[in-house]
Formats: sequence, structure tokens, C-alpha cells
Amino acid sequence: MAAGGGAGNKTYSFKVVLLGEGCVGKTSLVLRYCENKFNDKHITTLQASFLTKKLNITGKRVNLAIWDTAGQERFHALGPIYYRDSNGAILVYDITDEDSFQKVKNWVKELRKMLGNEICLCIVGNKVDLEKERHVSVEEAEGYAESVGAKHYHTSAKLNKGIEELFLDLCKRMMETAQAEERAKGNGASQSTASRRGVQIVDDDPQAATAAGGCCSSA
Amino acid sequence: MSQRTERRGIHVDQSMLLCNKGCGYYGNAAWQGLCSKCWREEYQRTRQKQIQEDRALAEKLQKEEEAAYASMQGASLAPFSKFEEKKTNEKTRKVTFFSPSSRTAPKKERVEQVMDEVEKYIMTCLYKSVFCPETTDDEKKDLATQNRIRALYWVDIQMLCVPVDEEIPAVSDNVVKAITDVIEMDSKRVPRDKLACITCCSKHIFSAIKITKSEPASADDFLPTLIYIVLKANPPRLQSNIQYITQDGYYFTNLCCAVAFIEKLDAQSLNLDLEDFERYMSGQASPRRPEVGSGWPQMDTAAAIPALAQVYQNLDLLSGLGSRQERVLEGVRSMQSDLITWQESVEREVQEILKKYPLESRPPALSAIDSDNVENDRLPLPLTPQVFAG
Repeated sequence: MAAGGGAGNKTYSFKVVLLGEGCVGKTSLVLRYCENKFNDKHITTLQASFLTKKLNITGKRVNLAIWDTAGQERFHALGPIYYRDSNGAILVYDITDEDSFQKVKNWVKELRKMLGNEICLCIVGNKVDLEKERHVSVEEAEGYAESVGAKHYHTSAKLNKGIEELFLDLCKRMMETAQAEERAKGNGASQSTASRRGVQIVDDDPQAATAAGGCCSSA
Repeated sequence: MSQRTERRGIHVDQSMLLCNKGCGYYGNAAWQGLCSKCWREEYQRTRQKQIQEDRALAEKLQKEEEAAYASMQGASLAPFSKFEEKKTNEKTRKVTFFSPSSRTAPKKERVEQVMDEVEKYIMTCLYKSVFCPETTDDEKKDLATQNRIRALYWVDIQMLCVPVDEEIPAVSDNVVKAITDVIEMDSKRVPRDKLACITCCSKHIFSAIKITKSEPASADDFLPTLIYIVLKANPPRLQSNIQYITQDGYYFTNLCCAVAFIEKLDAQSLNLDLEDFERYMSGQASPRRPEVGSGWPQMDTAAAIPALAQVYQNLDLLSGLGSRQERVLEGVRSMQSDLITWQESVEREVQEILKKYPLESRPPALSAIDSDNVENDRLPLPLTPQVFAG
């Protein structure tokens, strides 16, 4: 389940986390994307909170694991447990609800602080079918997205608009990031190619390692 | 990968990584922020103290313990046999996956499979020393969580906004199953099996939500429900289990979230006043519904009504069973007395008959075989030998 590109067989596994306030349409978005369903009465889907999708992009296989999160304010503090190790984040807001856009801004700040630039961010204005009731201006949203290095999309889960493009674009960007990371790894010291999950020991600070070692050997 | 690790650690001050005792070495969170040497000293000291305290307590508790032991013996038998069964399972599996057929085709899948089985076997063997080891304060944390959940008994479906309606039998059925699954997690030894329990629990939660809302459950519904299930189940050794699994699957992550939420749960997260929250937590009051005059606690009216109904139903059944059993007992008693009187009557009859017809045994008269043969006279004379002159 380790996130990141599986180098050997050219199959990429990405974890994408969906963040945003409650009721902005996160769940509808995934359901539409993975099962092409919207508010269907005869639903066979049991759950819409964790879905996987297999893609083939320019001859490379991609496994997407899409993690929906609880949007209620009371669960905000649990965010880090969800977005840990994710390759991409889709930050959803409702174009008719300015407050939800504000929440997206908070998420962006938090994600950049915790995960840096390795995570691909998408800011998504959902419910464009309600264009008449728009409360978040297009310019403001796109300007903000650019300023934080994110891409902006407009979608409608109801009309199935913009969703396919959103995910496809995100996948391509995550692949680029993964490839760049691979290259960086290749240039560095020899890395074991074992993709199996296991303990990875990373030395943050060589001094720390020696100090800790000394402690153990003296004990 | 390494870059990310560094960045993630940005909030940790270097001084915080050092041993709390200030010996200059690095500490470890699992050792209460001490380095290995200081922790060992600390651990030995507390252990010594503990041993002395235990000894003092031992005499006082001995009687109670004996009583508890007697009752426990019966209960502990079942899980032990389960372990045994598992052990034998492991053994047989070990034999099968090293069979020649798997060796000839070293496919990637096969290798993965074998690795999984080896992991299973190793984890089963290591379980005792790895799961909740004595040298850490895992047990304390477990108990703290357990107490915390116990103190939160009054939290109900409305407070958490859980989208399940337990009055629907199929839903409450799924809720009960989910609770059983999450409790069962503790009895499994292999991380993978524990994860399977969580997945199973999640599936039941999803079913419960889907039946209630008749639409697929989203994360907005799932997490509160999982929190509710964990609160109701109060699974044993929750923290140890979470530490033991350490794998990030979606359902597992949600369980971690649920536990984190429960630990940090405060008045705000339940939309309550701080005062009310404090009163509920201290047990001075329990939440009540204003519209119910009879003063039922909210829990009973809202969440537990189906449960209560079931309890009453079960009580009815039990009392019915009791009366039937009494009737059976009565029947048995009358049958017993019948049997006794029947036996007596039979004996009496036999005695009467014996009296009426006393058994006489006349000894037969001894006599010559033909003594009273009357027709002897009519027989011709016996032949006498005749002598002829010759």
C-alpha cells in the first residue's frame, strides 16, 4: 500500500485525499468519477468513502486510491491522519458558498506546511450547475490557486462536467512528480528497489544517528 | 522520501528529541521521552516499587483472587483452545506453502503469498513479546483509553450526528455485528487478521448506513458511525492493537481517527455547553430530553429504545420459559409420586396374592417304582427255568 511510484513494473500507485467542508459534494464527485452515478435511487454501491480506480495513461498503469474524508468541522483536527503519505489532494468547495472556499484556503495552508511541494493540489469549484447562485468569483478562485501552486477546476457532479479532466490532469501531474523523485533517487546513493512495505530507516541528521548509537552501545 | 521525512519533523524542536533526564542522549516517545539507559533505570525502579506494593496488596486480595480465579478458569478455557487451534493451523499452512509446486513456479504473486504466510507465522510466534510488551507503557495507555470510553457512556447518536436508525431491525443487527467485529480484533494475532476484523466492521457500518439512508455511505457518515461503534464496543487493548497493526489502509486510518477523536473529544465537538459536558463527564448528571416528561435519560429514549424493547421481549420470553419449566417440574413431581404409588400398589398386590396362595412345597413320598401297581396280579407268572433230562 506504500504510496509513490512503484519503480520496477511501471505501475504507479497514488493516494489521493479529498478534503473540503461538509456538503460541498466531495462524495458525489468520487461516485460520479468511479461509478458514473449521481444521486441514483437504485444504487448497488455500498459505500463511497474509499474507492479505487485503475487507469492507463500513456501506456503506464496507474492505480488510484481515493480517500474521502469527513468534512464536518469537528473532525478537522483529524486531517493529518488522513492526508499522511498522500500524493495528491483535491480540495473541494461549493461555488455558492463562500465559507467553503475559505475552508479550502485553510486546507492549502495546512497541507503546504505539513507536506511541502511534493503533494499535487487541485482546487475544485463544484456545483457549477448552480452558476446563477455563484458566490465565489472565478477570478478570485483561479488567482488564489495560481498563487499557491495549485490548479483550479470547475466541476459539476450533477451534470458530469469537468470531473474526468480533473482526475486525468491530477494523475499526469502526480506521475511527473513521481518520476522526478525517481530521478532524484537514481542520482543519489544506491537505493534498494524493494517496493514491499517494510521499515525504512531514514537518517535525518547524521549527528543524531551517531549520538543515538553511542547511547545504545554504552547501555 | 527522505526529504519528506525531514519536512514532517519540522515542528519538533531538537531539544525535544533528547532524553528527558538531560543526559544528552536521544530519547524515545515509547519510553516516556527517556533514552534507553535512563528508561531502563526508571523502569527497574518503578518495577521494584510495584513489586513491593503488590506484595503488600497480595495478602489482602488473596481471597478475592481465589474466587475470581475459580470463575475465570471456566472462561479462559475457550480462548486457549482457540489459540491452540490457530497454532496448529499455522503449522499445517507452513507445510503447504513450501510444497514443491510453489517452489517450481517462483512467480511474483507466489513470492508475495509466501512472504505473507511467513509474516503470519513470524507474527504469531512473536506475538507475546511484540504485542503490548511489558517494557512500554502501552498497558497504561490502553487502560486510559478504556476508562475514557467508559466515562463517555452518555454520548448518543444525536450528539455525534450518526446517520443510523437503530429502530430498524436490520440496522441494529449490523450495528451489533460491527461491535462484535471490532471487539474480536483483539483476539487475532496476525496484523492482517486484525485488519480483516476492521474491514469487516466497516462493511457492517456501511450496510447499516445504507439501509438507513438508502444511499451509499460517504466519509461524512462513516467516521461518526465508527466513533459511535468504538464508544459502544469499548474494544479491549485498543491502543496496543493500533500500535501493533501500523499499516495505513483506509479503514484502519478511520479507526485511528475515531480513537484520536475520542481521546480529544470535548464539549465543542458534541455541540454541548462546557458546563454540561463537565457534569456529564463527572457523572453528576446524564443528558435528558426536555420533551420527555418522565425523565428518561436521553440515551434510553433515543438510542436504546430498540435495545430496551429487546430486553423486555427477552424478559418476557424468559418468564414464559420459567413458567413452562415450572409446569414441567410439576409434571415431573406428580409423575414421581405416581411412580411411587404404582410401585407400592404392585408390591401390595403381590403380597396379597402371596398370602392367598401360599407357596407349599410337599416333599414327594419315596416308594418302590411298582409298589402300588394294582395290576401286578394279572401278570403271568415269571418264567422259571426248566431242567430237561438229557
